[in-house]
Amino acid sequence: MTTLTSPTSTTPRWRTALRRATDRRYMPVAGSVLTLVLMLVVGEMRYGGSSGFLTPRLVSNLLVDNSYLLVLAIGMTFVIITGGIDLSVGAVVALTGLVIATLLPMGLPLPVVLLVAVLIGSTMGLIIGVMVQVFDIQPFIASLGVMFLARGLANVVSVNSLAITDEGFASLAAWSLTFGEKANQFRVNAAMLVALVLLLVGFYLLHYTRFGRTVYGVGVGDAGNAIDLMGLRAGRTVLWVYVISGTCAGIAGILFALYTKSGYNLTGIGMELDAIAAVVIGGTILTGGGGYILGTAVGVMVYGLIQVLISREGLGEAWWTKIFIGAVLLVFVIVQRFLTARRR
Amino acid sequence: MTAPTELARRVVHHKLFWPVVALLVLLLAAGVRSPGFLSVTVQDGHLFGQVIDIMRGAATPLLLALGMALVIATGGIDLSVGAVMAISLAVSLQFLDNSATADQPSTAVVAVLLGVAVALVLGAFNGFMVTVLGIQPFIATMILMVAGRGIAMLITKGQITTTTSPPFKTIGSGFFLGLPMPVIIAAVAFVVVVIVVRRTALGMLLESIGINREAARLAGVRSRNVTWFAYAASGLLAGLAGIVYGAPTMAADANNIGLMKEMDAILCVVLGGTSLMGGKFYLGGTVVGALILTTIERVVIIFHIPSQTTPLFKAIVIIAVCIAQSPVLLRRLDLRRLRRASRRRAELASQEVPA
Repeated sequence: MTTLTSPTSTTPRWRTALRRATDRRYMPVAGSVLTLVLMLVVGEMRYGGSSGFLTPRLVSNLLVDNSYLLVLAIGMTFVIITGGIDLSVGAVVALTGLVIATLLPMGLPLPVVLLVAVLIGSTMGLIIGVMVQVFDIQPFIASLGVMFLARGLANVVSVNSLAITDEGFASLAAWSLTFGEKANQFRVNAAMLVALVLLLVGFYLLHYTRFGRTVYGVGVGDAGNAIDLMGLRAGRTVLWVYVISGTCAGIAGILFALYTKSGYNLTGIGMELDAIAAVVIGGTILTGGGGYILGTAVGVMVYGLIQVLISREGLGEAWWTKIFIGAVLLVFVIVQRFLTARRR
Repeated sequence: MTAPTELARRVVHHKLFWPVVALLVLLLAAGVRSPGFLSVTVQDGHLFGQVIDIMRGAATPLLLALGMALVIATGGIDLSVGAVMAISLAVSLQFLDNSATADQPSTAVVAVLLGVAVALVLGAFNGFMVTVLGIQPFIATMILMVAGRGIAMLITKGQITTTTSPPFKTIGSGFFLGLPMPVIIAAVAFVVVVIVVRRTALGMLLESIGINREAARLAGVRSRNVTWFAYAASGLLAGLAGIVYGAPTMAADANNIGLMKEMDAILCVVLGGTSLMGGKFYLGGTVVGALILTTIERVVIIFHIPSQTTPLFKAIVIIAVCIAQSPVLLRRLDLRRLRRASRRRAELASQEVPA
């Protein structure tokens, strides 16, 4: 009803603003922002100490450590808003990492290798897109098939962990700008910049283009009627959404390789769940039709904070993270389930 | 039409015809390439040979695939089977490791029951999320797929638990009536599942849910309970598979046991002619699927193809089968067949007119 209230009407402005903020569409995102704030408060209370918990350094570390995840989650947001899913992203990250580690020692120039890596991701996405759009296969099965395909290809490339020793690649990984000192230190590196640029591109694409509107329209479902009534053509939108997700997975593979400086066929197992978790925590509805790119960014921050808090609690072992992420995702999925059920 | 051609037509059109042909071709190719592949010898009253090995290897994927077939029949999927394998094996071996009487058969039985019971609980948990909470099956089971590996690592404290218990080891490497134990266990599981779903209406109810959940519900099918049963059965069978798989080595490696086994299970099911869209399922076909899968793994070795290409091969088969089963392709083929038939009819009609 926000469209009916104009600033000149008798309702006070603050009430309009309040109504807009408590609009049901923003409920899931509001939930994730609330979670983020709550976690920051808990962190401040438990580990605040003299320098405080929420410092520029914490924020920059969160962004640096989770830049690859942010990129994956941006692509995944598009897919999930259409009501689909992409289970292949973790395997694609492993494949691109291995391809980079294999191609660089062959003497190929760095830009070419990186381009090939991104294109591998796009191709994997394209395969899923064709299966979903043209052959009408359920997205999770199509992407599961490509997940196995990408892992299989990674196995063929190498079953050993390959270190990336290329100088250009190493300097790209090491490049960073630092502002401030100690707790106020804010570090910017290449991966973070790439992720933030992609965030802006994704934001523009989803919220300010016809393509973005169509993505939402596809997700609302109703056998394409919703889109028709909006005057949009679904066309190849579904296919493009998977190409976007695959491309993001390729880029994330590069960022992850920059982060670990190696390629390994078993990396990224369960990474698709991390990405889905970040998207869902960020307030995107799993059944499609609703969600925000910036919500996803909040979701990635929450995910990163969970890991920070777990390690600060002394539960640093890998299994606690896995269990905890599973539990958090479960809670959010259930909450969403009730929110969407009430709406219908 | 004469009787022999009628029989041939029925054989060719049988759902199992192509899977069985594929299996036979694979076996023959291996037999030609390496003579002695198909021979079975008897040593100490036990059967030995490549074919027996294939049957032994097929036991684990078959156990997983039996449960998976039931879940897929309801239109769902269970991605957690690999993680459930790891958890049940970790529970069993951890129990044996902490037990003072690990070499007693009774202790081994308790360990097995404990592992299978935990797996049953996990399967029921999947079923709860899918039926009661209404979460999409792949999301619900994927949570356990990832978190489950964490749970398995928690149980083994991140170590690879190794222990010794001769009676427990028998489950994986023993023999009964000349056949390896895993084969016997898989065969018994198969017979039990067949009796439960095909000698009662349960199988039909599962299929009705997969074909149209709402119609099934309106027809009075308690789809919630039936679906729940499918997930619980899948969990239980996955737990059993984990124990059978891990018993020969007695090492619970939480990171690697059952990794990508959900792919094998799905592959067995689709190779057996069951559609991933849900509905009709074929348990006999699933057995053939499991045998094909294991034979492929053997043949790859015999033909000196690098063994790390096997997952790639499996993935390509899954994608190909998915596309072959896709409704769009089937509709197009049907259209073409109809058009050809109508053209033939038109030709016949035009020939008859002048006469």
